[in-house]
Amino acid sequence: MIPVAGPDVVTATVPLETPPIRATSLLRRSFRLWRTRIGVVLVGLLVLLAIVGPFVSPYGPSTPVGAPNSLPGGKAVLGTDYIGQDVLSRLLYGGRSVIGLALLATLLAYAFGLTIGLIAAYSRNALDDVLMRAMDVILAFPQIMLALVAVAVVGPAAWVIVVAIALTTVPRIARVARGAALPVVERDFIACAEAMGVPRWRILVGDLLPNTLGPLMVEASLRVTYSVGVIAALAYLGLAPDPNGANWGTMINENQIALVVQPWGAVMPIIAIALLTMGTGLIGDGIARTAAGIDRSRGAE
Amino acid sequence: MADISRRQVVTSAAGLVVVGGLAAACGGGSTPSGGGGGGGGGGGNPKRGGNFRLGVTGGGSKDIMDGQNIITKPDQARLVTAFETLLLFDDNYKLTSNGLAESVTADNPKQYTIRLKKGIEFSNGKTLTADDVLYSFQRIGTKGNGLTGYAATATMDIAGMKKVDKYTVTLPLKSPDSTVPQTLASYTFCMVPVGYKAYPAPQIGTGAYKLKSFTPGQQSTHVRNPNYWRSGGEPYFDQVTIQDFNDSTAQVNALLGGQIDAMTDLPASQVKVLSGRGMHALVSKTGGWLPLCMAIDMPPFDDVRVRQAMRLIVNRPQMISQVLSGYGFVGNDLYGPFDAGYDSSLPQRGQDISGAKRLLKAAGKQNFAFDLHTTNGASGMVELATVFANQAQNAGVKINVHNDPNYYGNQYLKLAFSVDFWGTRSYLNQVQQGSLPNSPYNETHWPPKSGTGSNFIQLYNQALAETDDAKRIQIEQEMQKLEYDIGGYIIPFFGDLIDGYAANVQGLRPSKGTLNLDSFGHGFRTIWFS
Amino acid sequence: MLARIRGGGVTGFVIRRLLLGLLVLFMVSIVVFAATQALPGDPARAILGRSATPASLAALRLKLHLDQPVFSQYWTWLTGLLRGNLGTSLAAQEPVTTLLAPRLVNSSVLVAVSAIVSIPLSIAIGSWAAFRREKVFDTVSSNLLLVMAALPEFVVAVVLILLLATTVSQVLPSVSIIPPGSGPWNHPSALVLPTLTLVIAVAPYVARIMRASMIEVLESDYIEMARLKGLPERTVLVRHALPNALGPVFQVIALNLAYLAGGIVVVEFVFAYTGIGGGLQEAVVNHDLPVVQALAMLIAALYVVLNLLADLATIMVTPRLRTRL
Repeated sequence: MIPVAGPDVVTATVPLETPPIRATSLLRRSFRLWRTRIGVVLVGLLVLLAIVGPFVSPYGPSTPVGAPNSLPGGKAVLGTDYIGQDVLSRLLYGGRSVIGLALLATLLAYAFGLTIGLIAAYSRNALDDVLMRAMDVILAFPQIMLALVAVAVVGPAAWVIVVAIALTTVPRIARVARGAALPVVERDFIACAEAMGVPRWRILVGDLLPNTLGPLMVEASLRVTYSVGVIAALAYLGLAPDPNGANWGTMINENQIALVVQPWGAVMPIIAIALLTMGTGLIGDGIARTAAGIDRSRGAE
Repeated sequence: MADISRRQVVTSAAGLVVVGGLAAACGGGSTPSGGGGGGGGGGGNPKRGGNFRLGVTGGGSKDIMDGQNIITKPDQARLVTAFETLLLFDDNYKLTSNGLAESVTADNPKQYTIRLKKGIEFSNGKTLTADDVLYSFQRIGTKGNGLTGYAATATMDIAGMKKVDKYTVTLPLKSPDSTVPQTLASYTFCMVPVGYKAYPAPQIGTGAYKLKSFTPGQQSTHVRNPNYWRSGGEPYFDQVTIQDFNDSTAQVNALLGGQIDAMTDLPASQVKVLSGRGMHALVSKTGGWLPLCMAIDMPPFDDVRVRQAMRLIVNRPQMISQVLSGYGFVGNDLYGPFDAGYDSSLPQRGQDISGAKRLLKAAGKQNFAFDLHTTNGASGMVELATVFANQAQNAGVKINVHNDPNYYGNQYLKLAFSVDFWGTRSYLNQVQQGSLPNSPYNETHWPPKSGTGSNFIQLYNQALAETDDAKRIQIEQEMQKLEYDIGGYIIPFFGDLIDGYAANVQGLRPSKGTLNLDSFGHGFRTIWFS
Repeated sequence: MLARIRGGGVTGFVIRRLLLGLLVLFMVSIVVFAATQALPGDPARAILGRSATPASLAALRLKLHLDQPVFSQYWTWLTGLLRGNLGTSLAAQEPVTTLLAPRLVNSSVLVAVSAIVSIPLSIAIGSWAAFRREKVFDTVSSNLLLVMAALPEFVVAVVLILLLATTVSQVLPSVSIIPPGSGPWNHPSALVLPTLTLVIAVAPYVARIMRASMIEVLESDYIEMARLKGLPERTVLVRHALPNALGPVFQVIALNLAYLAGGIVVVEFVFAYTGIGGGLQEAVVNHDLPVVQALAMLIAALYVVLNLLADLATIMVTPRLRTRL
């Protein structure tokens, strides 16, 4: 599982000395790699599953279709789960919670993390230190531990999970954003713009932001992967927003005890989560390699 | 993980009133009378030796060891290793004098005489005498101690107990109470030595094992008590280890992997798995029940129509299939199924969605979102809440299920809608523990303070004092009719207790008792390794 | 001294970061204390449960200093912490240190054993992939590692249990309970699956970082120079690359430890391992404030130190970043 991002700088795979890469061209070029394509296909399939699943599901997520823990057959193509619900239906309903919350948490984290990181980089003074120390306080805890304590204390409501994960992701993004923005801040065209009287927030949004998107996209895939992992882990530990709601993580918890008798109840969500995280990982790796490749080819110029 | 309050007290299958003497046939060695068939009971002659490792869920760092009190299932297991009661239930719920008492006789409806067996020693060598009995009763009867058995002492005049001789004690009653012998057989009503205190004080009892070490939330070890009073070779194990587990999965895996020899509360889905590996599942048809509890004095359940509507939502056979995997039988919102006074003539309730909707509409609560609280306290509690919420959804009723890990801490008994669990009891015993204003575990806050049902307490006192069986049953049925019509419990089923054990464990039999694993092998003394 | 701190260079950086680390820990202590005090529910009531009476509640609150102003409570706690007194557990009525010490030992052993396996593994795989860049080993291992790095720990754990402990084969125990009074070293087979899970969860990610760092080193100017000078590849590797690879190695060690420390929470739960992960969960559920506070501070202190080491290591690894100090 991809854990904390350690250093106060961008990961070594994306060097920064060369002119920043435009985001759209980076995405386009990374799509040429096989691994990115596979990743996109995997993620696309699973997101599709999550969105469309409930509409094509044979039964509702909590409709009893047979004796608990029965093997595939009859009404249940993948068998039934621990209280007789249809495994296939729950699989189709179960992605929304995991993917939806993970995306929401990451988006929220990006909104705050980007802002904090860019402001910190741009201000280059005491504000920078204060912000980064505040981030350090959050970083003092392993991400899942903080999420676990928050959710165990306040309760497993959807908003708590989203906020807890977003909160722990913000510092990591802030660090990457700051690290990506620092070199850009020192460039001449920023000084020029300031001299011309362009308002600072304009410079932030118009100049800093676009030039830092490269490393941030790589980070984004890491963060989504990790958020999915944490949400699934929380659900697995019994802390899901809806105790019986169909949720891939919860399904693994509920059905693992019957693995020997009826494996599909636990194996299918495991496969789903594994494929999803692999997909996002591949995409991130594809983007990173493309960026490194671009830099390397530029370096040769 | 959750704190469970144990109110699973053993009960008798039929008949409560004991007037005259009890059959004093059983003396020294104990032989458990046969329960139902099945299970891996008795293969060959008992052999001595071995370390019996039991895995139990439900405990935590709040584990205690007290001869007269329990909070969680591991507490129960630990209690029975070292402490014993005056009377004992056999596997069929019949009262026997197989316990510490030679006899318990009712001299008159307001006084009992307890005669101890002679020569029983505590694990420190001291003999069990009347002084210990007096101390034991006083300890339970002191309200400030907060012990499980306190409510049962309401009718006892403990201050008036007298020591007749070294082994005999009289127990006067404040008012007639036919349930006293059952109380004396309930597993937390144990006899302890004078001056006894709970762990971490030394645990001196008459039981088959002595406590060797105890780490709450993790593990305890118990070694054979060399001064044990029963003859015939009991207990057979050299040592018993009781291991706490947080999680059923880990528990089952430990059993399958040979790291423990037996476990409590085996999930129904594992029964097939165990037999595939040559192990056994002990299935006991008990009168244990998991109720959904509606507090009759808290909105929205203070409106009787809402309570009645909720009872009509339940599809009981489907519940048994989904929650128990078939291991249980249908309930009718009444408890005490094995009691002679159980009113089986009342029509069996079934699912009636339109009736439920009608009632809710009349009460103005058709769009109300109910909050239902549950916890992982016993097998099936969370599943029950889940399945009930699903069934309610089909009736257009919204129920939010809350799975609280700290359920038995703050909120217990203060919730409007909750899940709980009970074991088999006789009807009157259960009323005393859960259906009176001063009961320790009255989740529904029954009975109503005015109007229909407010005469429940008088009826109860009448029943207690009634010596004629037929008349008493009549009163009980009158009480049950009230609970059937306007009570706060939804009792969809009575679930079997399922435990698991390894192939080499002998002597376990299915039992109607409420403690798991055949009352933990009757205090771990009637089971052995082959 | 002050000049050193304000000045540039590695030493200045280290000292600055250390001081900042202490500041962070101090702020963490405030946050931890405030958060636990803000826990919903009354701790006195949570301990006494259903046997709570107004008199016993008042007595317990007095004993727990709950009647004093927040600041003095915080100060009492903080000074006690610094003196090594972590308080008394509310649930178990025992000193926190007695309660946590065995768990801490168990978790440390697990982390240590996992690190001993994971560190050399990630170094070896990462280095070899870097040396043999874009060749078969690199591409195969890269993809495999990527896939493994993405999997959540509990998925790895459940799959391993399925494969090795319950279903496909039963060669290893599926639960890793360490009985009180004995240590993990008495139960080596109980360590295997948790260690394997942690290694599979952590090593791939660190191996990939190792690979990237090693590539940086191998492509650096002095290596180019050495090759251009005509030195045999062997000499290039041994005399020039390897010493400079210490940076990445240091980074690997620090990162491994940091990530393993995070990973034990879920792993300990799945295997019922008696460590601080399980201790934390139970303490939270029981509203056992002193234990939660003590564990939070312990973990934070550990994490701050490890992150500092990892940061330092990464700065060492990437020469160009040193100019920014």
